[in-house]
Amino acid sequence: MTPFELAEPKTLKEAVALLDADDPTIRPIAGGTALMLMMKAGVFRPSKLVSLSAIKDMSSIETVNGELKVGATTPLAVLERSDVVRKHAGVIIKTLRTLSNIRVRNVATVGGALAHADPHMDLPPVLIALGARVVVQGKSGERAIPVADLFAGYFETVLVKDELISSLIVPAQNGRRAAYLKCTTRAVHDWPALGVAVSVAADGNAIKDASIVVSAATEKPGRLVGAEKAAQGTVDDAGWRRAGEAAAEEAELITDGQGSAAYKKELVRVYVARALRAALGAQ
Amino acid sequence: MATRTIGSGQVGRSVPRLEGAAKVTGRADYVHNIRLPKMLVGKIFRSTVAHGRIKSLNVSAAKALPGVYRVVTIDDIKTVIPNPFYGPAFHDQPILADGKVHFVGEPVAVVLATDPHIAEEAASLIEVDYEELPAVFDEVEAMTSKAVVHDELKPAGTFPDLKHLKGKKDTNIALDFHLRRGDPNKAFAAADHVFEHTFRSQQVLHVPLEPFVSAAELTETGLTIHTASQSPSFVRIEISRLLGWPENKVRVKVPYLGGGFGAKLYIKLEALVAALTLLVRRPVKISLTMEEQFYTLTKHAATFRIKSAVKNGKITGRDCEVWWNGGAYADIGPRITQKSGFTAPGPYDIDNVSIDSYSLYTNLTPAGALRGFGIPQLVWAYESHTDMMARALRLDPIEFRRNNILRDGRAQATGTQMKDAAVEQVLDRLALRMNWTAPFERGTGPVKKGRGIAVGFKASISPTTSIAIVNVAADGSVTLYCSTVDMGQGSDTANAQFVAEVLNVPAESVKVVHPDTDVTPYDMATLGSRSLYHMGNAVRLAAEDAKAKLSALAREVGVPEGSNVPVAELFQKKYKMQAGNIIGTGSYIPNYVPPDANGLTPEATPFWMVGGTGAEVEVDTETGHVRVTKMISVADVGRPVNPRIVETQLSGAATMQFGFTMQEKIELDGGQITNASFADYKIPSIVDIPRDMQNEAVESEQGTGPFGAKGVGESGTFGVSPAIANAIEDACGVRLTELPLTAEKVYRALREAQGRPLED
Amino acid sequence: MRTINFTLNGEQVSAHVAEHQSIVEILRDRFDLFGARESCAQGLCGCCTVLVDGTAVSGCLYLAAFANGKSITTVEGLATNGKLTPIQEAFLEVGASQCGFCTPGFVLMAGQLLEAHPDPDDDDIRHYLSGNLCRCAAYPEIIAAVKLAAGRLKAGTT
Repeated sequence: MTPFELAEPKTLKEAVALLDADDPTIRPIAGGTALMLMMKAGVFRPSKLVSLSAIKDMSSIETVNGELKVGATTPLAVLERSDVVRKHAGVIIKTLRTLSNIRVRNVATVGGALAHADPHMDLPPVLIALGARVVVQGKSGERAIPVADLFAGYFETVLVKDELISSLIVPAQNGRRAAYLKCTTRAVHDWPALGVAVSVAADGNAIKDASIVVSAATEKPGRLVGAEKAAQGTVDDAGWRRAGEAAAEEAELITDGQGSAAYKKELVRVYVARALRAALGAQ
Repeated sequence: MATRTIGSGQVGRSVPRLEGAAKVTGRADYVHNIRLPKMLVGKIFRSTVAHGRIKSLNVSAAKALPGVYRVVTIDDIKTVIPNPFYGPAFHDQPILADGKVHFVGEPVAVVLATDPHIAEEAASLIEVDYEELPAVFDEVEAMTSKAVVHDELKPAGTFPDLKHLKGKKDTNIALDFHLRRGDPNKAFAAADHVFEHTFRSQQVLHVPLEPFVSAAELTETGLTIHTASQSPSFVRIEISRLLGWPENKVRVKVPYLGGGFGAKLYIKLEALVAALTLLVRRPVKISLTMEEQFYTLTKHAATFRIKSAVKNGKITGRDCEVWWNGGAYADIGPRITQKSGFTAPGPYDIDNVSIDSYSLYTNLTPAGALRGFGIPQLVWAYESHTDMMARALRLDPIEFRRNNILRDGRAQATGTQMKDAAVEQVLDRLALRMNWTAPFERGTGPVKKGRGIAVGFKASISPTTSIAIVNVAADGSVTLYCSTVDMGQGSDTANAQFVAEVLNVPAESVKVVHPDTDVTPYDMATLGSRSLYHMGNAVRLAAEDAKAKLSALAREVGVPEGSNVPVAELFQKKYKMQAGNIIGTGSYIPNYVPPDANGLTPEATPFWMVGGTGAEVEVDTETGHVRVTKMISVADVGRPVNPRIVETQLSGAATMQFGFTMQEKIELDGGQITNASFADYKIPSIVDIPRDMQNEAVESEQGTGPFGAKGVGESGTFGVSPAIANAIEDACGVRLTELPLTAEKVYRALREAQGRPLED
Repeated sequence: MRTINFTLNGEQVSAHVAEHQSIVEILRDRFDLFGARESCAQGLCGCCTVLVDGTAVSGCLYLAAFANGKSITTVEGLATNGKLTPIQEAFLEVGASQCGFCTPGFVLMAGQLLEAHPDPDDDDIRHYLSGNLCRCAAYPEIIAAVKLAAGRLKAGTT
């Protein structure tokens, strides 16, 4: 690693002021797990890091107007142990349990997991399926971005270099049921070769409305609208499999070290059906 | 595992590791911990092309970086070592690239600095211009390829079967071993059935969690090298040769190793740190990163074509062709080609055999020994082949094996008679533990269940020497001096148990001095499961020598035979004070007869290791995912010296091979490794391993071993890959012939079998 | 460069560190503590595990600068006056270390596990230890050691 300056602002405003929209060598650092990897590998040589750790009030978890609000510097492990989160969207807790390892979750933060924009992250597809949004602080003020619109591409977000995610908001789920299935191909614990997150509004097993998101096998996490349509009105395995078929046709898959695109297409087919089944709690 | 102690109860007892407390408190001594006064650290700059001539090497920007002490290239190295080429079989590997690079990741230059971050930064500023040359990566292609890795072959002269290769040009073959016994052609002509299959093992590597690390310092009397090495004696001899110094000017010290598995053998960083220290007259330490291990040593990828003749359920002839992918430098590959090559037909009683085994240079990271010395690659092929034949012949795979197994008294392919090799017992115990004759539940829905077994064997590397010294102090306390390296296998504890058994003291009270070539005597190396047998015999002899000298002392001071006078009193009686020592020495080298022109010999090995594996699997036929639910390792380890450590060695070896079977593979893109990190090269974690793991050492005794013992470090690896592949076919009817057995491969095979192959 | 003040294995210490140095480098180079050791350099193997305010982190991915004002515990800080903790005792007795390079990380993570789950089942153990790698693969022995330690801690005997 090469030398850099380390700033430790006390407020979000100060932090934003330290960033520079035109200087990619200045970046915010929270838990730093992903950034440290990039610095150690020499692919990122910062001139200045702006630590968010000293900023107060950025790591609370609360319910506001029926919505779950999570401060961006909340460590993933805190999220994982939160009863508020469990009640609001238990799928988040289940997802966190297989996300990296305990030491990483102890320091990695919610904001970092989103801003890093690695397509192999587990949380983004789940948050997209849950209809979540992030609140972003810039020099000229705040804006909200749906997580579904946050990712511009491979390791890229729509955030400007002097913007910071300040919080995550997960809307009320109103009885929707959700599941996330992580498919790994190189070891049991690995980055997903494919992540499938679904959220359904259903009457018993009859799906009224489904949100189906795939990640990891694609350039960025995203909803599969065709599959969602196909899932609508399905009541059983045959129907969920049809949704899987539609998803396999629709997803644009990438060949990499975790598998060929052709194989991942088969995985999408199987895992979308299984995820719908899991969300509904059906056998 | 049951405890079977003998005599004074020290051998056969699960003595806790002598260094256990140091390890659980984080205070065990590793080279990692070493810092020397005024020490510089080195960072290696590596090649980015697989085969190329260095047109220019520009180190000026690196030199100019503040904090850089020196940038070193081969020209500098040659000022202290004029002929800077090393290796155990060939003197083919330069300390730094000399005009040419032969694989991606080859060391080209070194930056020295006190701050490792500065050294790293400076190394990234070095620029090289290469003229790229044609490269070859596949071992079979290397046989005939126009791309030739080395301009001229340079055998080291140590091994007689390599001498004919001296000065050879236009070839990538670093050894061709041939064995002919009986008349295979006749057997094939007369056979009821002839089966032929080809199998491939992928390139994988050791990745000990302590990466390679060595440090060197100049002293008043010469050079001291602190190194994480499995072969301190070899390091001393080879560094002496490179420097033209007597052995006694080179001191090699080895504390505990954070894992070895065959990686840390022969010369790795030692020649480099020695040369750097001589150049700058300051201590130098180089610690590789995990990534750099991928550019240092791998296991041989291999292709094995095996053909068998079967008549009346008996295997009557076998033809084996094996190609070993040795990478850019021979390392110990040629010995693997021969020493493991001669076991290629497996533990079967076959009269007519032909073996052709080829060691090949390619433009990949050099390959060497890895827990099994080539055996797992062979067993993968011959035990998959065995099951495929049994299936085709509609014979039970265990019965088919039993009909053909190599029993004691029968001749192995080399003509050497089998002795103390419990192949049949291993097979029997496996069948019993797998409950083989009982009905087997095959699963419902998309998940199918299956089971499989495999058994393999290995000869020990011969001829090799071990020497030990046992020192009894005037108070009766005992110290053992030997150069066996404890890299986690528990050799300190086992050797202490041998000494304790002979001298009738608790093993826990014996001090074991770690390898230090100024102090501990010669040992060939800690490799190939040889130490427990060879060093064990030397240690036993040294302890017996000490015991005989103690008896003589007792006689001298007038103590009657068989009396219980404490040792301290004997010294007191002789020296009139607490003074003196008794030094016992032991030296062991087994009998060996080199193979004749046909590869035949009556004494190929001092002992045989036998290992078998049973596996049960669940295959998700919708995705190809395989879950190994049960893995049973059964081995002939002779008499278990320390039952608990034996068990850990068996399951540890099996788990390592499980990783090589299911998960691990070095991915290449034109010679460039694309997964050189734990993020993308996945070794087994606690959630990957089978939930049900069982280990057993069969009742057995190695007649020539110390207290009936023999090596155990590798036996658990032998059967794992084919047992799992056999279980997969049993579960879902598809046969994989190339490792690793990934979900995608299983899925593709299933689709192929359904007549609708997956398009790319 | 900056000066950091922190508690190290119960003692107040300070060190002059560069911003780009990790805590594991500082422990090794300034405090002669070698039990936390960098191996995979990616937070995946657990060899560099240290506790920050009682919580396990990967020391190779943790900037030393962030330790300012915190309490750091390493494996060397567990045993007091040479008396091993019940977890260390159990690892020793069961033979849960081979080469020993990964052992400190496993010992520390086992401690985290037993704090949260005094009576862990196999799944709890696997869950907590899934981020630590042992190339010697003493996993069955590690599981046995954790169970032994849990039993003894529960019984209040060591």
